[in-house]
Amino acid sequence: MAAFRASDASRAPGTAGAAGTIVVRGLTRRFGPTVAVRPLAFELGPGGVTGLLGPNGSGKSTLLRMLLGLVPPDAGTASVDGVPLRGDGTAVRRRCPYLPGEVAVYGEMSGRAHLAWFLRGRERESRASAIGIATELGLPLERRVRGYSHGMKRLLLLAAALAPRARVRVLDEPTEGLDPSRRGQILGLLAREAKNGTTILLSSHHLGEVERVCDRVLFLRRGELLDEEQSRRLRRRAGRVVRVAWADPIDPAAAAGSLATRGAEDVRIEGGRATFVLPAGDPRRALAEILSARDLPAPTSLVYGEFSLHELYRALYGEEGV
Amino acid sequence: MRRHLGSLPIQVLAYFTLLELMLVAAILYWPNFRDNIDSLRALSGPIPALQDMLTQLEETGVVGYITGQHFFKGCNTLGCAAAVLFAVGAVAGEVHRGTLEIWLARPISRGRLLTERWVAGALALGLPIFASTATIPLLADRVDEVVDLAPMFLCAVHEWIFLLAIYSLSFLLSAVGSHPTKIALLVLFLSTFEFAIYMVKVWTQSSLFRLADIQDFVDIESARRLDWAILAPLLACIAVLYAAALFAFRRRVP
Repeated sequence: MAAFRASDASRAPGTAGAAGTIVVRGLTRRFGPTVAVRPLAFELGPGGVTGLLGPNGSGKSTLLRMLLGLVPPDAGTASVDGVPLRGDGTAVRRRCPYLPGEVAVYGEMSGRAHLAWFLRGRERESRASAIGIATELGLPLERRVRGYSHGMKRLLLLAAALAPRARVRVLDEPTEGLDPSRRGQILGLLAREAKNGTTILLSSHHLGEVERVCDRVLFLRRGELLDEEQSRRLRRRAGRVVRVAWADPIDPAAAAGSLATRGAEDVRIEGGRATFVLPAGDPRRALAEILSARDLPAPTSLVYGEFSLHELYRALYGEEGV
Repeated sequence: MRRHLGSLPIQVLAYFTLLELMLVAAILYWPNFRDNIDSLRALSGPIPALQDMLTQLEETGVVGYITGQHFFKGCNTLGCAAAVLFAVGAVAGEVHRGTLEIWLARPISRGRLLTERWVAGALALGLPIFASTATIPLLADRVDEVVDLAPMFLCAVHEWIFLLAIYSLSFLLSAVGSHPTKIALLVLFLSTFEFAIYMVKVWTQSSLFRLADIQDFVDIESARRLDWAILAPLLACIAVLYAAALFAFRRRVP
């Protein structure tokens, strides 16, 4: 991955955002009667990794595709790396490499030829860079792509998305289908990129990796972006999430009632385990009362106050999309 | 572009080979045909349109026979199939194999992507027609006939433009559709239907193939110039179909 040169900072006059930023103002998209993305507004960068989270169908991919001009928005404006989104977005895609969420490739091509195909329309050096990344990732570039596993195809797409010099990259589920070691390798690459000043917007279902690599998280639900304050409240709320396990299954109704009378919120009980949120006022006291309650058995394990995007996800969306 | 061209040369070679084989067989059969035309007319009794065609061939001689065999029969039938084959995969093929998003994700405008495919297919459609047409004088010489190449090339241009209209229709359907096989079957059905109509004497004038039949080619050959009364509307139709395909493609969502 080569960093963008400072000399590339030429800008079209009158563009909305600065170099290395993503600026979205009121982007909206409908598919028939369904509103896929409601009017959205946010600014990212310059620099840093932003994670886009949301359950399936929440509009993540549509939003990313709109930013790249692959899906024309019904309303609103956007600019990427200082270039306003216009027409079919060719100017934006020239400045911002994109990793598609769908892993689809031309099986009849070799890995090397495919990289060259992906990088058509970009500077020539990016091909050498892509071959370097692909080799580092252990891809057999002389083999036809039809013989690649799902994860290898994803890595090939990633090599093409990470190779061009760019200040902004948009990656739709970059580690989907990769084994844990490869996932770690890719996250390391992204973290290094961000450290060098690149703005990365990625969507993911791997909540752990979002926690690990992202310094900002955007939550989408039914095409709507939760505002930062709501997001902060939810993060704080996630800090009060308690998970308790008992040795034997308990009566769910009785246990839920007992927990609720002691201030527990959003109680969910499955078998011998319960997840709930402590009240905001005095969570420690509520926890002490719950642990000493005579109508509940003594727990065998308890997890409290551990920040977890997974729990945040559940608090936001319930079981949906987890 | 290079990826799209991948299997195209083989398809073009196969298309040319078939056209040429049909042309060789037809020209080598010419002396036999000329000597037995009365018997053939007797056999074609139940099909008045065919009888008219034979009369026409008798009047126009070897030129009418060759243009009929090569352009009206060979190019119209094989060319229709080739036009559909080269067009349907352009966009619908990408949708069908799930590669539309990666195709569009590169920093290349949609107008350029579509135009490259259209031009590649159009050239693939025309090249075998011109190449096989170029061999007509040599083959005619084998049966002691003299055929001038220049008017034959004008006939080839006429035929190519006629086939481009069918190609452009298939291309438009590919730009809006997602199932290349269904699109191919639809256009081939329509072409076959139009060809069938041509063979019904009272409906011949209503068939699209009336725009590229023996009479047209014989007229071009004798006038030694293109028939713009037919070609101008065809070119306008091609332009409209291409513009519609571009319009649809620009709104296409992966």
